[in-house]
Amino acid sequence: MSTTTETKSGGGMDGLNKVLVKIGTTVGGVVGTLYQAGRDTIDTVIRNILPFMAFIAVLIGIITKTGLGDWLAHVIEPLAGSLVGLLAISIFCALPVLSPVLGPGAVIAQVVGVLLGTRIGEGDIAPQYALPALFAIDPQVGCDFIPVGLALGEAEPETVEVGVPAVLISRLITGPLSVVIAYFASFGLYSSSN
Amino acid sequence: MPFTPMALAGLPLAADTPTVDPPTGVFGALADAASWFIGLFQAGGETFMGLVTGIIPTLIVLLTFVNALIRMIGPERIDKLGEVAARPGLQYYPVRYLLLPVLSVFFLTNPMAYTMGRFLPEKYKPAFYDSAVSFVHPITGIFPHANAGELFVYLGIAAGITTLGLNTSDLAVRYLIVGLVVIFIRGVLTEIITTRMLARRTTNEEVAA
Repeated sequence: MSTTTETKSGGGMDGLNKVLVKIGTTVGGVVGTLYQAGRDTIDTVIRNILPFMAFIAVLIGIITKTGLGDWLAHVIEPLAGSLVGLLAISIFCALPVLSPVLGPGAVIAQVVGVLLGTRIGEGDIAPQYALPALFAIDPQVGCDFIPVGLALGEAEPETVEVGVPAVLISRLITGPLSVVIAYFASFGLYSSSN
Repeated sequence: MPFTPMALAGLPLAADTPTVDPPTGVFGALADAASWFIGLFQAGGETFMGLVTGIIPTLIVLLTFVNALIRMIGPERIDKLGEVAARPGLQYYPVRYLLLPVLSVFFLTNPMAYTMGRFLPEKYKPAFYDSAVSFVHPITGIFPHANAGELFVYLGIAAGITTLGLNTSDLAVRYLIVGLVVIFIRGVLTEIITTRMLARRTTNEEVAA
C-alpha cells in the first residue's frame, strides 16, 4: 500500500514538476531574450551610434562657431529651397561615376542631412522641403555596396557584372523621380501659412 | 564657532577677484585665441549633449524592444516568403519589390537583409538589392533598429523640424510611405534594365561564338 501511494504522489509531483520546468524555461527564455536584446542594443549604441554622434558634434561645433555655417547656407539655400535645386542635387548624387564614391556608410548623406536640418531649424529652408530633401540627398544609397550586397545574395559573378551598371543607371532615373514623388507627397506637410 | 570668522574673512576676497583686468597685449591675444578655440568644442559638446540626451534614451528602449521581438518571432520565418517572391508573373512584383525587401530590412536589418536575395533567380537579384538598400533609410524614421549606424540622414533633417517646434511623426510616416513607393519603382525599373543588359550580353556572346 505504502509503495503505491508513493508512486501515485510521485506521479503527481512529476506533473507539477513538468509545469514548473515549463514555466521556468519560458520565463527564462523571455528574460534571456530581452537581456540579449539589451546587450545587442548597447553594443550598437556604443559601436555605431555614439561614434557618429561624436563626429557630427565636432563638425557642427566647428561649422556653427567659425561662421562656415552661414557661408554654407548661402550655397545650400537656393538649391535645397526649391524643387529644381533639389532635382539638381539628386541628379548630381546619382551620377554613375559619383554615386559609388558618395555612398560609403552614408556619411555624406548624413552630414548633408544634418546641415540641411540646421538650416531648416534656422528657418532658411521651408519645412515642407524636408521630405523631398530626404530623397534628394540619398539617391546614391548603397551604390558603393552593390558587389558585396549581391554577393550576400549569393549572386553569380556574371550577375554582379551586369547588376552594378544596372543599379547605377536605374538610380539616374529613380533618384530625381523619388524627389518629384516626395515633393508631391509633401503637400499639406508643415504648410502652416494656409 | 571658528568657522564663522573664516567665512567672513573669505567673503571680501571672493568679491575682489573679478576686478582683475582682462589680459592685454600678446597674452591677451593668446587668451582670446584660446577661448575661441575651446569655444568651437564647447559648441560641439553642447550639440553632443543634446544628441545623447535627446535621442539615445528612447532609442535604447525602442531598439531593445524590437530586437527582442525579432528574436522571439525568429527571422528564419521569412525564408518562405523569399521562395514565393521568386515566382515569375505580374502578381509577384509587389511581393518581390515591396513585401520581401520591407520584411528583410525589418527583421534582418542592414546589411544582412541582402542575403534574402539568395532565394531569387539571378535576373532578379540586382533589382531586389536595389529595392532593399533603398529602404534602409526611409525605415529609420519609425524603426531605427533596422539601420542604427546611419540614422542621421533622417535624424539630421528631423532635428530641424523639432527646432521649429513641429511634430516629426508626420514626416516619419510620409518618409516611410514615399520610401515604399520608391523602392517598388526602383525594383521594377532595375529589373527591366537588368533583363535588357543580360539579353544584350547573351546576343553579344552568340555573335562572338
